[in-house]
Amino acid sequence: MEHPYLFLTSVFGLFGLEEWAAHHPHVTYMWLAMVILIVFGWLAGKSVSLVPETAQNVFEVLISGMEEFVVSITGEEGRKSYPLLISIFLFVLVGNLMGLVPAFYPPTASVNTTMALALIAVGWSHVVGVWHHGFKYIKHFLGPVPLMIPLFLPIELIAHTARVLSLTFRLFGNMMGHELVVLILLMLGGMFLAPLPVMAMGVFVALVQAFVFFLLSTMYIAGAIEEAH
Amino acid sequence: MKKETGKNLRELGYFASLGISVALSIFIGLGLGLWLDKKFDTDPVLMFVGLALGIVAGFSNIIRAGRKGKNY
Repeated sequence: MEHPYLFLTSVFGLFGLEEWAAHHPHVTYMWLAMVILIVFGWLAGKSVSLVPETAQNVFEVLISGMEEFVVSITGEEGRKSYPLLISIFLFVLVGNLMGLVPAFYPPTASVNTTMALALIAVGWSHVVGVWHHGFKYIKHFLGPVPLMIPLFLPIELIAHTARVLSLTFRLFGNMMGHELVVLILLMLGGMFLAPLPVMAMGVFVALVQAFVFFLLSTMYIAGAIEEAH
Repeated sequence: MKKETGKNLRELGYFASLGISVALSIFIGLGLGLWLDKKFDTDPVLMFVGLALGIVAGFSNIIRAGRKGKNY
């Protein structure tokens, strides 16, 4: 379903890129999410002081609270992966919340974005695994009995592929569904503010989905760090 | 965040993602089998092998979760 009006598409239209931007709203709005995050990061890090003030306070609570949470799941080794995880969380959160602003398209409502994020998260968990266990990481895929290796290897490979797909489709499905419901209700009863309750629930959905994506990536990294079963 | 809350959330995430991973494992196995069938021209054989592997992979997730759930 086509979005009725997109703000960034008209902005790109000023440079004669309207057709491209209309076909790739997830790309342009992903750039917007990146810009928002970079600006916020710059604002937070601009005047770091020992006694935190307003903006720094908020970011410190968010960042350090999440860091303790990640470390409580993965153990001390997971602290190195934390920058990636919090980036994923903040990016997905900003991307999801964009769906609630009129004339904005949530970049996470496109399967391209979520697939890229899931591939990065799961791929990184394997990098962490190889990094921690070296060549022995392959034991994670071989099961307990050596005789059963031909059976266990494809099973484990399928299970690990399912991780990528489940991350991809959970986020994509939720955001796409939310976007679609809002659009349909807007067309049917926009004059009576019909999409409002769904949009109110969308705040919750955006937060929960961002958190679930972050939590599952953390757990995959934790699974790669721990010893083979 | 309290330590207990973190642990509970972790378990919640694990068990909540169980259902979708079972379903997707079966479909991945089936898709893999179909693709290999087309590749090697062995029409129905590899599809069943892939389907069986996918089902086993899905159920191994359930068994692992059940073992994990015994601790409660």
